[in-house]
Parts: sequence; structure tokens; C-alpha cells
Amino acid sequence: MSVNGGTAMLQLSGLNAAYGPVQVLRGLALHVDEGAVVVLLGANGAGKTTTIRAICQMVDTKGSALLDGVELVGKRPEQMAGLGIAHVPQGRGTFPELTVEENLEVGAYVRKDRSAIKDDIERWYTLFPRLAERRTQLAGSLSGGEQQMLAVARALMSRPRLLLLDEPSLGLAPLIIRDLFAKFDELNNVEGVTMFVVEQNANLALDIADRAYVLEAGRVVLTGSAVDLRADDAVRQAYLGF
Amino acid sequence: MLAVPGIEDNFFTLTLFFQNLANALANGAVYALMALTVVMIYKTTGHLNFAQGEMAMFTTFIVFVLAVEQGLNVWLAIGVVVIAAMIVGAAFERFLIQPLENRSVLAPVILTLGLFFVLNGGAATIWGTQPKQPIPAPFPGALADKIDVITDRSPNFFITYKALGVWITVAVLVILLNLLLKRTKLGLAYRAVAANAESALIVGIPVKRMLMLGWALAAGIGAIAGAIIAQYRNVLDFNFMGAVLLFGFAAATLGGFDSIMGAVVGGLLVGIVETFAPALFTFVGNELALVMVLLVILIVLYFRPQGLFGSKRVERV
Repeated sequence: MSVNGGTAMLQLSGLNAAYGPVQVLRGLALHVDEGAVVVLLGANGAGKTTTIRAICQMVDTKGSALLDGVELVGKRPEQMAGLGIAHVPQGRGTFPELTVEENLEVGAYVRKDRSAIKDDIERWYTLFPRLAERRTQLAGSLSGGEQQMLAVARALMSRPRLLLLDEPSLGLAPLIIRDLFAKFDELNNVEGVTMFVVEQNANLALDIADRAYVLEAGRVVLTGSAVDLRADDAVRQAYLGF
Repeated sequence: MLAVPGIEDNFFTLTLFFQNLANALANGAVYALMALTVVMIYKTTGHLNFAQGEMAMFTTFIVFVLAVEQGLNVWLAIGVVVIAAMIVGAAFERFLIQPLENRSVLAPVILTLGLFFVLNGGAATIWGTQPKQPIPAPFPGALADKIDVITDRSPNFFITYKALGVWITVAVLVILLNLLLKRTKLGLAYRAVAANAESALIVGIPVKRMLMLGWALAAGIGAIAGAIIAQYRNVLDFNFMGAVLLFGFAAATLGGFDSIMGAVVGGLLVGIVETFAPALFTFVGNELALVMVLLVILIVLYFRPQGLFGSKRVERV
């Protein structure tokens, strides 16, 4: 393991985050290895979304968050895309008044290689054919599932090294969720995208994950391989529902 | 001709109708510009800038100083002032509005009201309260500078060069603005911020700079609007943009506060109602023109609260 070796792609240590006077993260420590899929589980209010927002510097943060050894704490949120982090926020992550294609173009904002950007758009259209059919439509007119696919494709347009997914299954029909997670698995296996996933649907998340953390009141209370956690009685009762 | 009570008979005289229309469209085009300045700031920041008209008044005085007092070519003077206005507009956003951004929704609006009085009072102090001789014509403005369209009727129908100049200027500006927003990466980034500021940050767009861009564009467009309306109406004093901005706000409300197309159509409609209502109804004088405009807006908003072209904003959770 790379906890002490410093070879992890993302390494959080002693991370505190607060919304005004409300402390949400308390000395959070976790890491994500290159090429891995890591899942963050936890009850509502445990600080899962805040963890992702803290990585992206979208909330007041103290402590350390290293991406390939580069300190993120103290940087501005708009610098994250350039550093190789893509973020699919909870709920609406799209630009409703832009077309599907414009959403993808703006996802490549930090890139300068115009022809490669065009190629990438076609590439994600191949992975998400529904988006190709709707390329000239406004994103706001898409269904929930299509919006989520668009948000993911848009995030991939920056050619990220690390993809942060915040509740990607929220509000989607079960069939669409299964489809979406199959795409995530494919992205990880084929494209080698490293993923850090916050997810309520623990069963699905553990299916594609290598490792998982359980968050409680802003601290990590349990960690292990996806297989081990699935076998853990406490986790099963609290998050898997059987 | 059939006489209907309350209706101006000669309104239906063809040439007079056209003459009114030409005048309405020139005024309306300038209202469209002022509506555009309102929209450019509103789209990204959600604020109304009440100082927009006074900013345009102030820049028009500077055009006056450069062109009349210093003898600079009027087009060169306008060009210099537009660029300066854009820089100052961006600086206003950066140093006056941004520090207040997180205080309260009203703080920036109150600040623009303050800016209104500073600029209004400042112009009166510097240039006095008496009207100045208007700026030298960007467009030929003599009585003979017109194109005669219908001459064999009374009254004649002609189009003045200065009305034509206003139309062409506004059309070119709207086309350029559209190209900027629809065809450039900068424009895409601006629209992305307008659509979803948080996601814009996520994809790496410097959101605060896009807010400055909105102010810069608004200040630049306003400077052009001030210069051309000063000539068209033959007026330059420290209050001359107040009513123009009011009609501009009306146009933006009618068209929808977040729509460029709406600003243009809204501006032209406001210009038409403003001119045609007093021309059509005997009981409506010029002083009631604004009331008639507001009445039309009231009716439109009753059926379309978001304006003619505005998008329905869905509450984000």
C-alpha cells in the first residue's frame, strides 16, 4: 500500500473542511492509487460531497490534499481542471442553455489541441450514442439519465487523470444506472481513468471498485478492499441492506 | 376618411406612417443597445446595473471633449472612449462589485445606484447643467442629408442618414456580439458561466474574469449607444441618458432579461410603441409614451412572465 510511500495519485491527510461555523470534515485521510476505482460510502451528512468539494477547493479547506505530490489546498477551484482533475457534481452538472456539443466543447476548455478535441467529442459520442443523436439539442432538454451521461462525457473531455463522481446514480432509473456503471467500468479498464466515487448505491459502487472507505461524521471509520467491505457485517447492514 | 373618435386620422397616411416607423426603429435600435448592456451584465451576475445610462452619459461627454474641444476625429474619439469604457467597466466589476458579491444580493445593486449619483453629479460638476452643443456628427446630420423614398405625396417620406447610421451601427454591433458569443471560445466560456457558474469553475473557466467581461462589453456598448443617441436626438446634458436607460430596461423586461435576441426585439418594440401610441391616439401625448410602453409590457408579462425570449429559470436544488 502506498499510504506512507507517497506514490498514490491522490493523497488526503489531516483534511478539515467547514461551511462557515459548521465543521464537516475532521482530519480526513485517504488515498487513491493510479488506475484504481475508490468508493466513498457513508450516511447522509457524513461529509461525502464535502470531501469531493474539498479536493476541488470549493469549500474552505485546511490540511493537505496532494495530487501527484502537488498540494491542492490553497489553489483556486478553476485551476483543478488544468491539474488533471475532472468533477461530475451531484445533480445538474451540465450547462442547460448550451447544446450537447457545446457542453462537450466547454469541457475541453483547458485544452488547446483543437483537432484532438474534435476527435475526443466523436469518441465519447461512440461511447454514449444517445448524446450523438442529441448533439444540437440544448442540454436542458435532455432526460436525467442523458444529462448524467453528458456530465460524465463533459468531464472526460478535459482528458483527466482523476475523475471525481458525486452520486452519479442519484435520481436515475435502475436500468440506466446499471448502464452508466458499466460505462464507468469500461472507462476504468479500457481508458485507465482513475476514479473516486461517492455513491449511495453501495452495491453497484462496490461492483466496480477496487477499494472503499466508510465515512462517519467527517472521519474515515473503515477501509479495505471492495471484496472485504462487502463481506463486512456492519457495512452490509448499514449500506448494502442485506 | 372615416373619423373615429380618439384616433388620429392622418396616422394612416402612408408616408407619415413610414416616417413614424423610421423614427421608431432608430430610437428602438438605441433602446436595444441599452437593453443589451443590461442583459450582458444580468446573464452572468444576475444584477441590474442602474448606472448603465450614466456611464454612457459620462463617456459621451468625454467623446465631446475629445472631438469638440480637442478636435479629434469623432470616430477616433468614439473608438478611444469605447476601449477606455470597457477597461473602466471591467475595473468597476473587479474592484467595486466583486468585494460585495458575497455580502448580499442587494449590495451590488445599491452600489450601482450610488455609481449613478456619482457619475450624474460628477458630470454636472465638470461640464455644468446646461445642455452642450451635441457632439459632431458621426453621421451626416444636416437637413439635406437624407434619402428621398416617396416624394410625390405630402408629406414626403425620407430616411435621414443619421437614422440609417443608427440602424447600421446597431445591426453591426449585434452581429459582432453574436459572433463573439456563438463562434469564439471566449464567448462559449461567457455563456457557460451564464448557464452554470459552478460547473464553469469545474471545467477551468476563470469565472470572475467572465463577469468582468460582461461589464466590459456592457460599458463599451453603452458608450456607443450614448454617442449615437446624442447625435440622433441632438442633445447632450448630464441627464440625457436617464430616460433612454428606462426604455432600455423596459426593452430588456419585454424581451427577457437573459436573451440577446429578446433585447433587440424588445428594444425595437418599445421604440415602435413609444412613437406610434401618441401618433395613433389623440388622447395620448408624448408624455404618456412611457406609460403606454409599460402597459404593453404589463400585458406581455401577464402571459409570458419570463419575457418574449427569456428562458424559464428552473430553481436549482
